[in-house]
Amino acid sequence: MTIPGFIIRNAFRNRRRLVLATGGVAVSLLLLTVLQVMLAGLTDPSATDEAARRIVVRHRVSLANMLFASYEKKIQALPGVACCTKLLWFGGIYQDEKNFFPQFACEAANLFNVLSEAKIDPQQRARFIQERAACVVGIKTMQRFGWKLGDKITLMGAMWPCDLELSIRGVFSGTADDTNLFFHHDYFDELLGDKGFTGLFWIKADAAAAVPALIERIDAEFRNSEAETKTETEHAFQLGFVSMLGNLKMLIGSISTVIVFSLILVTAGTMSMALRERVREIAVLKAIGFDSRLIFGLILAESFGLALAGGLVGCGASFALLRTVDFYQLSHGLFVNFEITPHILVVGLSVAALLGMASCLIPAYTGLKRSVVDGLKMPD
Amino acid sequence: MELNLSFIPLSESATVRFSMETPLVQIRALTKVYRRGANDVVALRRVDLDISRGEFLALMGPSGSGKSTLLHIIAGIDRPTEGQCLVGGIDVSRLSERALTLWRHQNVGFVFQSFNLIPVLTAYENVELPLLVTSLSRRERKEHVQAALELVGLSDRQHHLPGQLSGGQEQRVAIARAIVPDPNLIVADEPTGNLDSQAAASVLQLLQVLNSKAGKTVVLVTHDPKAAAYAHRTAHLEKGELLETGTAGS
Repeated sequence: MTIPGFIIRNAFRNRRRLVLATGGVAVSLLLLTVLQVMLAGLTDPSATDEAARRIVVRHRVSLANMLFASYEKKIQALPGVACCTKLLWFGGIYQDEKNFFPQFACEAANLFNVLSEAKIDPQQRARFIQERAACVVGIKTMQRFGWKLGDKITLMGAMWPCDLELSIRGVFSGTADDTNLFFHHDYFDELLGDKGFTGLFWIKADAAAAVPALIERIDAEFRNSEAETKTETEHAFQLGFVSMLGNLKMLIGSISTVIVFSLILVTAGTMSMALRERVREIAVLKAIGFDSRLIFGLILAESFGLALAGGLVGCGASFALLRTVDFYQLSHGLFVNFEITPHILVVGLSVAALLGMASCLIPAYTGLKRSVVDGLKMPD
Repeated sequence: MELNLSFIPLSESATVRFSMETPLVQIRALTKVYRRGANDVVALRRVDLDISRGEFLALMGPSGSGKSTLLHIIAGIDRPTEGQCLVGGIDVSRLSERALTLWRHQNVGFVFQSFNLIPVLTAYENVELPLLVTSLSRRERKEHVQAALELVGLSDRQHHLPGQLSGGQEQRVAIARAIVPDPNLIVADEPTGNLDSQAAASVLQLLQVLNSKAGKTVVLVTHDPKAAAYAHRTAHLEKGELLETGTAGS
């Protein structure tokens, strides 16, 4: 027998408790990692080099207020602007309200210059630009509804008094959100009778370094106009969008704290029970030559091992869950980036291991401070 | 009983007699007071006692007389309130907790009334336990453990868990655990208290053999005169005071 062997024997002495405690830690870690994935997906949109060059111009008052389409020419003329497209949230219904996915009117010719990381077949892109009632759809939405190239779809206007009859001419992938559908702004204008407005301008700057100055320049250009602008980076815009859902960060943070606290209770309770059963054994170990530091090490290792085992099971389960379940479909398109990263797994396992160690401190201290004589007097 | 004491350094003569010249244990004016709330309970009152090397001493007395307290102080698991307890010339009460643990490991073997074996470890592993904190190799540990189990006559039970052994067998495993680090002193606190008369006799014979053949100094706490009869000498305590010492059976 070795010291690690002795620790394992002790850990396995009450198998039911071991399974329940490990299971408790595992469930807590599963919840914790899923929540962290959710938080990351909602609040930390992927920031690629391309995305860092993009900025969004909207009405200063709110997203619900429209901007004049004529602003585009002035924006295009500003130094630092590489390309620009109008963008308008259509918010239509495909067959049923639950089939939500984002739909935008855009300038077809400029869209993929701005959204330059998108992967699309050049021929499909060309057909999309040529055909007024064409649309391009992200791969996730194509898969979600089982659409194919050439399919015709109807989007019923919910916010706008028009329905769109669109032909799918292209499929793109490789963007932060492969659920979007883009169609021609001109087509929308035609249906609505060209009112001369749009929702946003989506701009790509010459370089990431030019972005701050460009933001200032655009807002300065339209200051004191009929529709003043608020310009911000794409990243800031997305975070602002998420904040409309409420203080998610605080909510998820609070739930995570409760989970971590439960985790401490589970492991501390288990270790307390385990050590209470072994008061006499600890006294005997001390009597026969195990010093307190070694016994503390044995207890610490057992608690650490238990929590880490639970953590591995929990993180493994969340990894498997997030890999197999399509949360995009399950959440009706709310969660786009729902991916467990190595960072989240490492954080989860570290939390489990640290709490495993922390939770045994008080029971171990209580057990070890008892004298050998008092320990030997304890009943079985 | 046939003994294999190969791992224990035996004296040249087959039977070891204790030496009266240099006591292993020297106790002088030893007092132990326990504080119970606002009251002080005197467990030992100015006890003087010498225990020679190789002696088998029985500490006797009624419950609450202080015999277990005295044994605990001799074994270094309790500290006196006043007085001195020298074991092998070392005042154990002055050692730090860490040094005391090491000292116990090297010098004292414990045998308890309720055996105190680890239930999830086999007999072999229980005996091996004190050797885990030494620098012995696995092979060396195995040699020591097997010799100790052979000595107590339980080689064939080495893979049994304590729950699969009788009370007498459990106590013999505990004795094997006590002697495996080769201590000078074996302290036994009512080792036969939970055993039937046959198993008790076997355990006491084993302690006697360890004393006579291996030269171990044995201090036995008991209130059973039959058990005390195995000792060379008895010391009687009552209300914390040492009343008398005498040869066993006197």
